[in-house]
Amino acid sequence: MTSTDRIRRARTTLALALAARALLVAVASALAVVAVGVVVDSVAGLPLTLRELLLPAALLTGAAVFASLFLLRVRGAWRATDEDVALWLEGRIPSLRYALVTSLGAPQSPAARALADEVASAPVERTVRQASGHALWRPGVVALVLLGLVSLAPPGAVARVTAPEAGDLLARAGGAARAERDPLATIVVRVSPPAYTGLPARTFEDPSAVPALAGSRVTVEGLGAGVRAIVGSDTVRATTRATTRATTRATTRASAREGSPPSWVVALAVPAQPGAVRLLGPARERLFLIDPYADSVPTARLDLPARDSVLREARGDLALAAEFRDDLGLAEGAFEYIISAGAGETFTFRSGRVAARRFDAGVRVARIAGVLPLDSLRLGAGDLIHLRAVATDRNDVTGPGTGASETRTIRVARPDEYDSVAVDPMPPTEPEKNALSQRMILQMTQELHARAPRLAAPVLQRESRAIALEQTRLRKRVGEVVFLRLGEGEGGEHAHFAGDGHAHGEEGPVDAEEILAAAERAANAGATRMLESEGDETPIVAINRPLLEAYNHMWRAATELETARPGEAIPWMERAIEALQRARAAERIYLRGRPARVVVDLAKVRGTGKERGSPVIRDPREPLDAEREARLARFDRALDVVRADPGAAADTILLVRVSLPADDRATARALDAAADALRRGGDVTAPLQSARRALAGPPVRAGALVPWGG
Amino acid sequence: MGRLMPDFTFATAQYDSGDWDSAPLVPANVIDSVARYTAIDVAPTGVIVPLGSRDLFKYPLVYLTGHLPVRFSDVERTRLGEYCARGGMLFVDDHNHDVDGQFHKTAWEAIAGAVGPLQDLPNDHALYRSFFRFPDGPPTTSHELNGWGDNLVHKHLQAVLRGDRISVLYSSKDYSSEWNYHPDNKRFFSVDNTRFGVNIVVYALTS
Repeated sequence: MTSTDRIRRARTTLALALAARALLVAVASALAVVAVGVVVDSVAGLPLTLRELLLPAALLTGAAVFASLFLLRVRGAWRATDEDVALWLEGRIPSLRYALVTSLGAPQSPAARALADEVASAPVERTVRQASGHALWRPGVVALVLLGLVSLAPPGAVARVTAPEAGDLLARAGGAARAERDPLATIVVRVSPPAYTGLPARTFEDPSAVPALAGSRVTVEGLGAGVRAIVGSDTVRATTRATTRATTRATTRASAREGSPPSWVVALAVPAQPGAVRLLGPARERLFLIDPYADSVPTARLDLPARDSVLREARGDLALAAEFRDDLGLAEGAFEYIISAGAGETFTFRSGRVAARRFDAGVRVARIAGVLPLDSLRLGAGDLIHLRAVATDRNDVTGPGTGASETRTIRVARPDEYDSVAVDPMPPTEPEKNALSQRMILQMTQELHARAPRLAAPVLQRESRAIALEQTRLRKRVGEVVFLRLGEGEGGEHAHFAGDGHAHGEEGPVDAEEILAAAERAANAGATRMLESEGDETPIVAINRPLLEAYNHMWRAATELETARPGEAIPWMERAIEALQRARAAERIYLRGRPARVVVDLAKVRGTGKERGSPVIRDPREPLDAEREARLARFDRALDVVRADPGAAADTILLVRVSLPADDRATARALDAAADALRRGGDVTAPLQSARRALAGPPVRAGALVPWGG
Repeated sequence: MGRLMPDFTFATAQYDSGDWDSAPLVPANVIDSVARYTAIDVAPTGVIVPLGSRDLFKYPLVYLTGHLPVRFSDVERTRLGEYCARGGMLFVDDHNHDVDGQFHKTAWEAIAGAVGPLQDLPNDHALYRSFFRFPDGPPTTSHELNGWGDNLVHKHLQAVLRGDRISVLYSSKDYSSEWNYHPDNKRFFSVDNTRFGVNIVVYALTS
């Protein structure tokens, strides 16, 4: 073997040794991160999210260390020249006296041949081995020590860091000792939803409240033994298999796992109403709340037919389309129809389903379409088709839930009925005429606007003013319609508000709110007349508001036209048309006939003549908040013991939470937060304040000051 | 503070899906009976209140009838549920008198969805003695006795109860036909057949 060969082998060996050293240092670094994590978790208990980051952090640290060392050291060794290696060896083997370097410089020279024996006898390989071993032993020992430390830790403690999962709180180091003192110190609650949902189980560690889908199974687990459970707020003797309600069963069993401390498990069914689970241990008791929520019923939206309609003849197909949604999964969707025929006291009915479709598991949104063949339904004049879309979900535990869309009614017209499909055409109503006219004026304005660039200014001004005149006439007609409706004569506009330019000086838009308010006051003044309302607005407002809006938009449009700016007038005209359309829609609400109004002569019935008697002032009812007061009092009692016994205070707050009405979710959340905060410790002022405010409800505003006079 | 409304105003529910106005004379007839037999301060005429309107909350008793399918809109369903939760009482009468009819089927479904499932009301319920005494339960109607509709004499009314209180009272006996005549014609009856209406009103106002 030549000197060159020996040097190159030495370089390879040294480079590999450095690589191995880098690897050992990297492993030691990663193990150090894990070990620190295990220690900190054992002492302080790291949250799951942090523990989930620990193993990736350890691997990342190891990789970073390895990459750094490789780049700094190994690559340099690998790239070292033969002369560098020879000099490195000469430095460690003084007996060579530069023979190795000399032989490399001129290997065929007589001097090199003379030094060959000296080079051959040099302990190059041993030197390389020693250097390699020296480089490896320290990081190797450190890595082994760390590995030993990690191995000596309790298996659960390491697993909490290397393979963290929700619910591994029980595996935390020191758990057995804590459980021996208090089996209720740590609990883990697992909620397994029903199979049909396909949802994974959820785990809660030391919870105050556990949300659970109705039909789920709940298991409560802890370390130690001698734990019993009581479910519900009623007082029930604790047994190893406690049952407080027919729908709720609780079983307790203590089990000893191989190599781990004994543990207890309570299996519960989710109750129908929120209920407290009381866990009784040898030393104390502990509460948590099961907060059930229901599988929502599917929602259905009937897209086609889009609205109720009247058919002149029952021919052809009626297109159907619907969309269904469910929170967990749809099972089936279809269209349902009922056909009612008859009148007066004699009605007959037929019903059926079309376009039914089953959905695969996991489908949460679906659309179906179909047709309703009208020919085959044998519909007669006056018949009604009541149509809706229905869907069922996959709930096989508490359901199935059924949802339905709003119902559309399709009516087949009677030939003799007095409606728009069977009578001679009649002139449009006044608002419709106004809409038609406004459209024509808009078209004229659009044409003028298009021609404007080519028109001379005086021409544009003249034509624009001509349209403005038409716009003003139409505006006044709308004003007359409004005032006729409000019970005034046709001259109402002139008599009551600015807008005509005759009696009130400068023209301007009307204040719709003011006029409507005045109209409502006038309609209600001095009468016991009860207006039937459309939503939260009286008919006066519902019909006339859009007309007054149209009036104002027309005024703006005319103003723009007066100054020869047709382009600026167009948006106002479009808004006027839109308002007129709304007025027409508002009117249609009242197309349905009203029954005859029969007024009973009470005085005659009672035989009281004209004597009215003394009016009786009704006493206001007592506020119906006795339950709220009771809850507040109970909450205040919990506040009294917050300092002395936060656990008891948290339990009391949970019991208050149980007594809440089911729909008071905001207060429930505030109480849960307060109970959680009490269990966690620290400053609980803010959550307790929030909880009390939520319990007390919003402040009540007094209507007015009490008048003088007692 | 002066009086804003009478103690009782007869309110007829207007719902989107059916012929809610099929018994236009029932309100006047019941008002007449309330005035005739009680001292309740009653409004001389009834009102029509949309079931989806917040005005519903002004009236402690609301009457709903019809022949055609009852399909509440979302707003109506929500409002009715809220109304009953706040202590209101809905009186529903099947104007078809037909348990196989679509009013009956759809009304039961709609009420169950909005308020809760209906169940038989015991014939000794406080409703039957809230003013007049009806020891045998709900009075029969001529429509039942003549075999019209489903040809049944219904032994019970149905109700959705909140505790002991009736939130929804449901009748298949067709009081809507029985009471749908002008109150002036009441003088031709030997026994006023609208007396049970007084019980419903008094129960709604006092229980």
